Formats: sequence, C-alpha cells, structure tokens
Amino acid sequence: MLFNSLTFVVFFVVVVTAYWSIHSWIARKNLLVTASYVFYGAWNPPFAALLFSTTAMDFWLGRQIAKAKDKPSRRAWLVGSVCMNLSMLGFFKYGNFLLENFQWILARIGIIYHPPHLDILLPVGISFYTFHSLSYTLDIYRGVLQPTRSLRDFVLAVSFFPQLVAGPIVRAGDFLPQLVRPPALRIGQFMWGLLLMTLGLFEKIVLADTMLAGSADRIFGYAGPLVALDSWLGVMAFAGQIFFDFAGYSTCAIGAALCLGFHLKDNFRFPYAAIGFSDFWRRWHISLSTFLRDYLYIPLGGNQVRPMRAAINLVIVMFLGGLWHGAAWTFVVWGLLHGSYLVIERVIRVLFENKPWANNSATRTLAWFATYGAVCIAWVFFRASDFTIATRMLGGMFGGHAHGDAILSTREILQVAIVTAFMIAAHWTLRESNIETAVTRLPRWAVTTAWALMASAIILTQGTSNAFIYFQF
Amino acid sequence: MPSSTSNFNRILRLPRLFFRPPTEAESVHGGPPLEFERPIPQIPWRGITVVVVLVVIAAACAWEFYCRSIGYGPTLNDDEDLWTMTRQRVTPESIVIIGDSRGWYDLDLDELQKGLGKRPVQLAMGGGCGYPVLADLANDKTFHGTIICSFVPWLFFAPPGSPPMERGEKAVRRSHTQTPAQRTSEYFAMPLEEHVAFLKQQDLTLEQLLKRLPIPNRPNALVPPRLPPYFGTVDRERRARMIEECARGEKLATTIQQIWLPIFTPPPPPSYIPKDVFMAKIKDAIEKRFRDTIEAVEKLRARGGKIVFVRLPVSGGLKVLEDQATPRNRTWDPLLQGTRAPGIYFEDFPELAGFNCPEWSHLSAGDSVEFSKRLVPHLRAALGL
Repeated sequence: MLFNSLTFVVFFVVVVTAYWSIHSWIARKNLLVTASYVFYGAWNPPFAALLFSTTAMDFWLGRQIAKAKDKPSRRAWLVGSVCMNLSMLGFFKYGNFLLENFQWILARIGIIYHPPHLDILLPVGISFYTFHSLSYTLDIYRGVLQPTRSLRDFVLAVSFFPQLVAGPIVRAGDFLPQLVRPPALRIGQFMWGLLLMTLGLFEKIVLADTMLAGSADRIFGYAGPLVALDSWLGVMAFAGQIFFDFAGYSTCAIGAALCLGFHLKDNFRFPYAAIGFSDFWRRWHISLSTFLRDYLYIPLGGNQVRPMRAAINLVIVMFLGGLWHGAAWTFVVWGLLHGSYLVIERVIRVLFENKPWANNSATRTLAWFATYGAVCIAWVFFRASDFTIATRMLGGMFGGHAHGDAILSTREILQVAIVTAFMIAAHWTLRESNIETAVTRLPRWAVTTAWALMASAIILTQGTSNAFIYFQF
Repeated sequence: MPSSTSNFNRILRLPRLFFRPPTEAESVHGGPPLEFERPIPQIPWRGITVVVVLVVIAAACAWEFYCRSIGYGPTLNDDEDLWTMTRQRVTPESIVIIGDSRGWYDLDLDELQKGLGKRPVQLAMGGGCGYPVLADLANDKTFHGTIICSFVPWLFFAPPGSPPMERGEKAVRRSHTQTPAQRTSEYFAMPLEEHVAFLKQQDLTLEQLLKRLPIPNRPNALVPPRLPPYFGTVDRERRARMIEECARGEKLATTIQQIWLPIFTPPPPPSYIPKDVFMAKIKDAIEKRFRDTIEAVEKLRARGGKIVFVRLPVSGGLKVLEDQATPRNRTWDPLLQGTRAPGIYFEDFPELAGFNCPEWSHLSAGDSVEFSKRLVPHLRAALGL
C-alpha cells in the first residue's frame, strides 16, 4: 500500500482511530502487527509469509546467540542469521544478476552456457526489512542488545508499517524499548505527525512526481545526444526527484509513527548543503550509512587501521552500499564513485586541513559546489539503466555533443531550476538546524499558511499513486 | 554505551533535553535504552489545525465551484486500474471492443447489446494502440469470444516505446500485476470521481495546469505536441461520451481540431539516426506489427474466437491528413488480407459515411448511438451471426 494512495488514507484513519480507542497495550500491539501485515500483504499477500518467516528465524537465532556459551558458538549462530538473511536477499534480488554475470564469465573462457531466466518477483522493501531484522542478531552478537522474550514485539519491530518497505532502517534496538510502555496520546505530537505526513506527501507528489520526474524521465529516456543544458538539468531534476521522493517517504514514515506514539530517527538532514562527501553521508540516508558504518566499516577496522587499509575499507563499504540499492553494475559504479570521493576527500583533508584558507567562506562555497556537482555525476549511474545511457549523459553534460538535441520545454527548465534553487536554499538555511526548530521559530501564520498550501497542493495534484523510487530496493 | 545510537546523537546534535535515562521497565530488552525522542514544536496545535482544515476545505470547494463554472463535470479517470477492472469482466465468450479512442467514443454499448445479443466489454483506450490488448486476449487461453478492433493506422502501427504502445502495454501489465491495494484504491476513487469535478487527472492536475502556461519554447526544442483538453466523460463500464460543449462544434471543438493535426503528423526523423536507417527501422517495425497481428488473430481463431476490424469515422483536416500519411491501400487492405479477418470501413457504406465528427476524430454522444445502430447489421454480417 502506498502512502500516496486512497487506500492508505482509509487504512491509516481506521488504524489510528482503533489504536487510540483501545486501552490494552497488548491489544494495541496486536492491532499494529495485524495492520502492518495487511499493509504489506496489500501488495502481494504471499510475501507477508516470507516476511514472517525471516522475522521468526531471526527471533530464534537471536535467542541462540544469547544462549551460546562461547564465542565460536555465538559466531556460528550469527553466521547462520547473516547467511539466512543474505541468501533470501540474494535469491530474490540478485538471482538473475548473478546468473547473468556467471554466464558472462564462462563466455570469456569459451564456455557457452545459457542459464534459465528466473521469473522472480522482488518482494517490496526486502532490502529494508532484511536490515531491520538483521540488526537484531548483529546487536545481540555485539552485546549491545539482549533478545526480546516476545515474538510479537519483534515481529512488530521488523514490520512496523510506517518504516516497513522504504525505511528509515529502524534497528530493533531502537524500536523494541518503545514497546515496553504504551505511549500516551499527545495532541501536539499527533498534529506534528500529521504535519510531517503532509510535508512528506508534498515532497513526493508535488515536488518529486509533478515538478521534476517528467524532466528526469525524458532526459534519461531520450535515445539521442543532448545539449549540455538539458543534460545537466535532467541530472539535477533527478537529484531533486530522488531526494524529495525518498526524504518524502521517510518524513511520512516519521509522521505516521508519531501519530501512533513512536519515535523514528531522521533519515535525511539537508544533504544538498553538504560540504564534502563524509558530510553528505552524514546527511543522506542516515539509517543506511550508520548501518554500514557500525556493522561493516567498524568491524573491518574503521579508522583504527593504516590509512591505505581504511581507504580500501571505505571503497568496499560503498561498493556494497551501491549493490544494496540494486542488482546492476550501474549501482556498483555509483557506490564505487562515492567510495572514491570519500577517499579523495580524506587525502585532501590530510594535505590542506591546516592551511589558513581551508575554512574560509570561498573555500567552503567551492567545496559545496564540488560536492553537489560530484554527487550529481554519481546520480547519472544511479538513474541510468545501462552504461550506454550513462556514457551518453556524461557526454552531454561535459559538452561532448556539439550538435545534441534540446528536448526540454521552457516550462520544464523553469520548474527544474526553481525547485532546485528552492531546495538548495532550504538546505543551506536549515543546514545547522532542524525542521522542528524552524517550525517553532516561524510565525504561527506562516506555519498555518505553509501547511494549508501543502495540503491544497496535494489535493490539486491528485497524484497517480506512483510508487516511491526506493520501493524497488 | 558503545552503540551506534550515541554516535548518532552526536551527529544529530539534538538538544540534551530530549534525552533521558532509561527506566527500569525499558531495560527489559536490555539493549540501547529509549534515549531518543523526537522534539515536538511547541506551538498552538489545535488552533493551527482547525484553521488549516477550514482553509483547505474552503479552497477545495472554491476550486470545485470554479471548475464546474468553466464546463467541467464529474467523470471517472480512465486509468489502468479502471481498465483492469473492466478487463476482469471479460468472460470466455465475451464481445470485446479494443483499439483506440474512436472505438471508445463511437460505439454505444446499449445499441451493440441490442443488436448482437451480448453487452460488449469496452477495452479500447484513448491514445492507445490496440495491438497489446489483442495479443493479451490471443494469449488468454480461456478466451474464445469476439473482438471488435477499432483501427487507426497511426496508432495501431505505433512502434515499440511510443506513447500509444506504452499506454496499451501499461494497461495490460497492470491487469496482470494489479495489487489488492491498487484495486481497493480504485474502489475508493470511483465514488469520489463521480461527484467531484476537479478530480480529473488528464486535465486539472497541477502538472496539466502548468503545461497550459503560455511560455514560449526554444526555437529548436523538440517538445512533444500538446494533448487535447477534457472533452468526454467515462462511466464505470468505460463507455466514453463526448460532452455537449464539444459536440456543438464551437470553440472547444475547433481548439481540439488544431491539436489533433500535430499529433497525427509524422515527426521528422531523429537527428541522431540517418534518415534512411530510421525509415528502414520504421518499415521493419510496421512489418513486424503486421506479422504479430496475423499471428495473434490466428491464435484466437484456432480457439474458435472471432475478430472484426472497424475503421470508424474521421472528418475534416484530420481525415485528409490520415488519408495522406496512412493511405488505405498500405494499411487497411494489407491488414485484412494478412489476417483474413472481416473489416468494416465507414466510407464503404453510405449509412455509415455521413457522420460528422465535431472535433474531427470522434462522434458526439448522440451520433455514436445512431452510428452503432447502423453498424450492427454490418457487424452481424461480418461475424456471421
């Protein structure tokens, strides 16, 4: 079920009304489990069984890890959990990709092999809920979490519908403690949740789908060479689209959770105001970047190893981060580009950090500009469905097509330019702050007007229930 | 605590006020305590919410009133979910109308039911190519009914990847992959769309309103032609009817006439492919469509199904353009020869040829009833009923 659908509106009203009408905390949690499985099953009911089986297995494995008396046994149970989760992910998400690449490798050594194309339907949000569930056994193994005694609580932690299919990646350790005591209904929190849901839907329906998606789709779908202006605008449109799409989903999730009395952490913090790539990754998809940091980068040695080893670790982490997004080499290149950016940034910091000009406003502006430009270049690989398109786009962006075509209308150019300028200005304004502070400081009439305008724009836009981009991951 | 949460807090720089030590009860799970609570802006929420709700309701009512005052009325949006619901009504022996918007507007289900003995299922779609639907029905092993296929060459031979082809493919794909959530949303949407005039996705969304802004384009920009504004209604059976304002043949109709011409004019070859290569590709695509159509018709016929192609009325400058760009002897005649299927070309019969399309491409709602009545004997003859 999509947040931007009528079904969700009705579903949410029914669930919230029932939830706050019930006194028993146990019954409320049962309601949320049922609602979450209905929410998920509304895409494809059999996949709800897959979700449950993964969750139940990790619940059991978590207990085994905690019960194990020595480290090798604990590790063996953890390996079991990691293998179970990753093999599920591997089969559904990477099955055909692996077969195709295996075929390619065999062909290089002269063996002709035609594997059958597996007709696998990708369960929505499998990458997200696998990580929700995996965080539980990983944290028990790390000794920072004790297993819960309640299967129902763990099932709810993994499947809680606001964050189930497209994040944020909520760790069991962050959610389970919230299931101990029933939250109280607080009007301010509930209304703030509704305002965040309005903001999230506005970002998705109005800004991502209406103002930017059309231009990005046309540019990336065009089969011929493009002039530099159109190429750059197409990439900038996609940069804005993916931010508003994904941040919009996260904002909706945080808002919906607040309406039910739960607290989810921020997943985005104005990433297009980032100065440098490490700053970017502290602001973009925070729940994934911290997940990869804590469960991959730090176990690999983190910053406590030689600089060369740390650089290799960074690239490995970003390579896997890219692959997490999709079973395609374009995503791998996107991840490797970001890994390279992070390594280059480290080198630059070592070389120039103590220079007097390193932190002046001109340098910072230049660094921001370079960060935004490099992030946009990486987006080309994220959006392009193959390297031919990516190469053509880069050719257009860097003036390789002197006689390229211009395909954007003036209206589209204005839309992309205005929304991008608005987005960057907003990110810069709120760079060191947060939206809660901004809303508290704004005059009441401004909050009222902004909320009413966003809600009216959503109604006017109507939406066509376009799926969120991150559903496919 | 060595958890990531503490790092996270440092990164977020959230006020200390929002963190508190864990209670005893919370330590049941033993892990990172509940040390994160989202800050809630302290503003007068009740007052703000009441004002927002009132303003949004007032704005929606004003917009609805304005839309009705300029001629819009409530109607269903013809999207993939409505098409899918209609597709699900197809039974093994159904009579099914497929093809483009002429089959959608010009054929009256009541008259066809009276004349053919069964109520047809309307699967033709505006701006759509009929081939994906034909192929889908041909591949549906349970179907052995009758297909009435509206034929507009420009749309039927649309190449893969073109908007008409994508429209048909998207609808067929949705019918195979529709989720329970999508079906439920359609059930919720229909009563709303039947009562609210501004819920019109093809005309009154923010995107469509922005597209209407009179902003000149760069002289060399390859911008797709504009699509026509709202001129018809759709009901739950997907029966399309032209609205009166358009049927009168006044300003709305003349505006649409001028919109059809660029849409039906073959575009110049793309700059990045040599013209002869492009023309060869188009030729191959058309030949392939002929072959695929023949194969689909044979599959259908092998199961006892029937098909009749119909060329429905077209008028004015659009008829001149279609006759030039897609002449009968290069489209209609080879199609019938190849498929060995019966066909009804409106110009061949005086009782079908005398209709005028107000906006050059479709019949008015009134004329569609009369036209269908006159078409029935020809359909019966063609289908051997």
